[in-house]
Amino acid sequence: MTNQASPVEEQEKLLDEALNVVKVQAFQMKRCLDKSKLMDALKHASTMLGELRTSLLSPKSYYELYMAITDELRHLELYLLEEFQKGRKVADLYELVQYAGNIVPRLYLLITVGLVYIKTNSNLRRDLLKDLVEMCRGVQHPLRGLFLRNYLLQCTRNVLPDTAEAQNENEGVVKDAIDFVLMNFAEMNKLWVRMQHQGHSRDKERRERERSELRILVGTNLVRLSQLESVTVEDYGRLVLPGILEQVVSCRDAIAQEYLMECIIQVFPDEFHLANLQPFLKSCAELQPGVNIKNIIIALIERLATYSQRNEGNINLSVVLEDGKEQEVQLFEVFSDQVAAITQSRTDMPPEDMLSLQLALLKLAQRCHPDKLNYVDRVLAHTDKICADIHQASGKTHLEHNTAVFKELMKILKLPADHYKNILTLIKLQNYAPLIRHLNHPGRIMIAVHLINDVLETDCLISTPEDDQPDQPTAEPDVEDFMEEQGLLARLIHHFKSESADRQYLILSAARKALQAGGAARIQHTFPPIVFHAYRLAHTYKQLKDADDMWEKKCQKIFQFCHQTITMLVKAELAELPLRLYLQGALAISEIGFANHETIAYEFLSQAFSLYEDEISDSKAQLAAITLIIATFEQINCFGAENAEPMRTQCALAASKLLKKPDQSRAVALCAHLFWKAPKDGKQWPLNDASRALDCLKKAARVAQQCMDGGVQAQLLAELLGRYALLRERGNACLTTTLIDAVIQKIREELANLDQSEEVEQITKHFHNTLQHLKNRMECPDPDGLGYEGLTLS
Amino acid sequence: MSSRKKALLKVIILGDSGVGKTSLMNQFVNKKFSNQYKATIGADFLTKEVIVDDRIVTMQIWDTAGQERFQSLGVAFYRGADCCVLVFDVTAPNTFKSLESWRDEFLIQASPRDPDNFPFVILGNKIDLDNRAVSAKRAQQWCQSKNDIPYFETSAKEAVNVELAFQTIARNALAQETEAELYNEFPDQIKLNANDNGRNRDGDNCAC
Repeated sequence: MTNQASPVEEQEKLLDEALNVVKVQAFQMKRCLDKSKLMDALKHASTMLGELRTSLLSPKSYYELYMAITDELRHLELYLLEEFQKGRKVADLYELVQYAGNIVPRLYLLITVGLVYIKTNSNLRRDLLKDLVEMCRGVQHPLRGLFLRNYLLQCTRNVLPDTAEAQNENEGVVKDAIDFVLMNFAEMNKLWVRMQHQGHSRDKERRERERSELRILVGTNLVRLSQLESVTVEDYGRLVLPGILEQVVSCRDAIAQEYLMECIIQVFPDEFHLANLQPFLKSCAELQPGVNIKNIIIALIERLATYSQRNEGNINLSVVLEDGKEQEVQLFEVFSDQVAAITQSRTDMPPEDMLSLQLALLKLAQRCHPDKLNYVDRVLAHTDKICADIHQASGKTHLEHNTAVFKELMKILKLPADHYKNILTLIKLQNYAPLIRHLNHPGRIMIAVHLINDVLETDCLISTPEDDQPDQPTAEPDVEDFMEEQGLLARLIHHFKSESADRQYLILSAARKALQAGGAARIQHTFPPIVFHAYRLAHTYKQLKDADDMWEKKCQKIFQFCHQTITMLVKAELAELPLRLYLQGALAISEIGFANHETIAYEFLSQAFSLYEDEISDSKAQLAAITLIIATFEQINCFGAENAEPMRTQCALAASKLLKKPDQSRAVALCAHLFWKAPKDGKQWPLNDASRALDCLKKAARVAQQCMDGGVQAQLLAELLGRYALLRERGNACLTTTLIDAVIQKIREELANLDQSEEVEQITKHFHNTLQHLKNRMECPDPDGLGYEGLTLS
Repeated sequence: MSSRKKALLKVIILGDSGVGKTSLMNQFVNKKFSNQYKATIGADFLTKEVIVDDRIVTMQIWDTAGQERFQSLGVAFYRGADCCVLVFDVTAPNTFKSLESWRDEFLIQASPRDPDNFPFVILGNKIDLDNRAVSAKRAQQWCQSKNDIPYFETSAKEAVNVELAFQTIARNALAQETEAELYNEFPDQIKLNANDNGRNRDGDNCAC
């Protein structure tokens, strides 16, 4: 038997030719019918049907031809029906059509006529159906046989007996319909499976593709069974399902098994599946090794999970125990057990498929049993074991990046994260964090970023150190020094918040402990939020001082903690960042004012200062740093002479040692504020030293005049004038109007020598604004401050 | 062909999986509805006689699988259709958005003689549900923009508008068929001396 379909380019031509014959013959047939020449019409029909005897067409082309022909046969059927209904019954028609020469046309005609008989006389139904399904055995060519039986299936759709009990036994009952379809199904499946074993082995690929195209015809049998309305759940479990499964299992063909199992899941209703989970899953374990069982189980799980969700989990499920008793069980339990049994029995199952099954179980647990976290944990524990087995087999400690198993595990990890949207729930899952360890480093980063994003998105606050603990190993060591990821982590730290101050402290200690393992590149991003959190916490303790006797001790402890933390940053060879953190700390300490705070504040400030001296060499950075130090000192009011004196002297000294003259001038001028602060609550600062403030300003002016650039000189002097005015208004009488007048004259001189430019214009404007201010003050003097008596502004 | 002949109309129902194609057909043909979901695989038809303007018409209604993977043999059954019914679920906007591609796909595969005037009918199903997501106005606008396709809001479950919709389908399909018959009077000429050019219908010597 030559069973070769022709190449694609010829298919079209062959199909066209066949369709032309069909067109001609159909036209003739219908003309004969119009003239009531039935025998001639049958002859044309038979010739038309003869086209279906071809072996040259591919399944798809054959399907097209089949459709065209069966569309035309419908006209014959309608004609016959009409004639029969009018009582013009053609004698022996059923026997007559059997004289057609070839078996394919003969059987198509027989089915067509048989259908008309059944429709017009239901007494014939049971016997004719049986006869037809038997007769079709006459075509054993797979393609032709499959389509012929599909025609039988299509034609009989409306006439299958669908009642539990018949009024007339000849009409048949639903049991007869089940037998009819099951038999047709078994025959079609055999034809379909046989295709696999015909022809050359080199055509295997094409053959499998063609088989896959034809599967729909076999599956239609199952659809037909599902359409029988009088089939009860009991009938299904007793007759239908065992009949199908027997055929599926015994055909021992992987393609057929995989498709048909999926078909069963799709075409029968949920209630039927629930009642028959055990036999179905048991059959799954008996399928051929090549069958992708994973897909079948997953399809079933997803279908039932959706159903259970739709019914809000109210499904009654019971299993028959070995002793024959029924017991109510949870959907998850059934699947969990069966999946375990299947993975155990099928040693050839690829590990990624095992993980996919766990993923499906996880979905099931989350969707159907939202209240049972232990189910989820159980799946995770299984997954952990599977991963361990994978490592054992591969000899590696982690799953390779982007392999199939890696991707599956990633999905398993992301699913609960996305489902619960709450990292605290994840932490309740004992087996969650350990699973992450199976990923390689980049994989851990991926999941860590995912988790952190979830935390940030949902604004969930992590409020106990116990929660914090397991989270850290997941998040921290995995995050590489990518700024973005570190930024995320830093943001995460801001979510470590607790209602209780004591607990907050424990959280911060735990966080630092976990984060310090990250190394220099990471702690520069992760420590600052911890330190700021700690400063905020110290303020919280101050607010709690009436409730907590120990608050001062605790504050000390916090600042010790901060000091250590910042020192770690220093050890990581950072300078500018710890310097700023020290200064911020000194400010916080002075504001809170607990016992012994002066010493600690001094320590912080002096640490900052030594960082300035030892570590900061860039001149711009130096200016910025000394400015910050001076400003911080100016803001701190807790120092006595013993501490203030060396500090301000050091600052002045450092300022005068700056490299560039303009920097020097500005910094030294700023130092004046260290010797003369504004009065507080109407009282002068006890350590004010009017003449040394003046010295600073004078020195600043001298340095300014050493600058070569006239514009810069004018600029610096204009700034200085402002400082003179400010400090005088703050009550420093040493800054006499004569001195101020001298500065004004000097600026005027400088400005006069400058060419017009945008810069000069700005300086002039700055200068005139200051003069305007002085003028205003002369006109209406501040009653508390010093005025400008004797100053002449022309 | 004489018009005394009973008309046979081929109607194809298309739409995404789960919109209720099978339920609509079952409601129309068998007057039954079930909440159970059974996926349709492949394509299958039911027939029903209806009376349109005193004429008895046999409707052959093809119910199809909404999931493409269940059409492994292709869609040859589109050919010769007299009307195409596109169904969406008013509670699922995606199924509404798919209408366009279903329509285009049908016109390409069925290649009707006059694609611009081929009769379509749109059914927005499941109006019995509360969580409606596609407004009648939006659906109507779309239908108007597509050459005024008739639009019906149906509930297969509660038998709302199902009868009316299928009446319209039958009427529009019949108009189409009558028109088609004018063209389809004679097939291509028959070559009596056709040389078979290596064409071998029998393919093999098997008797079947």
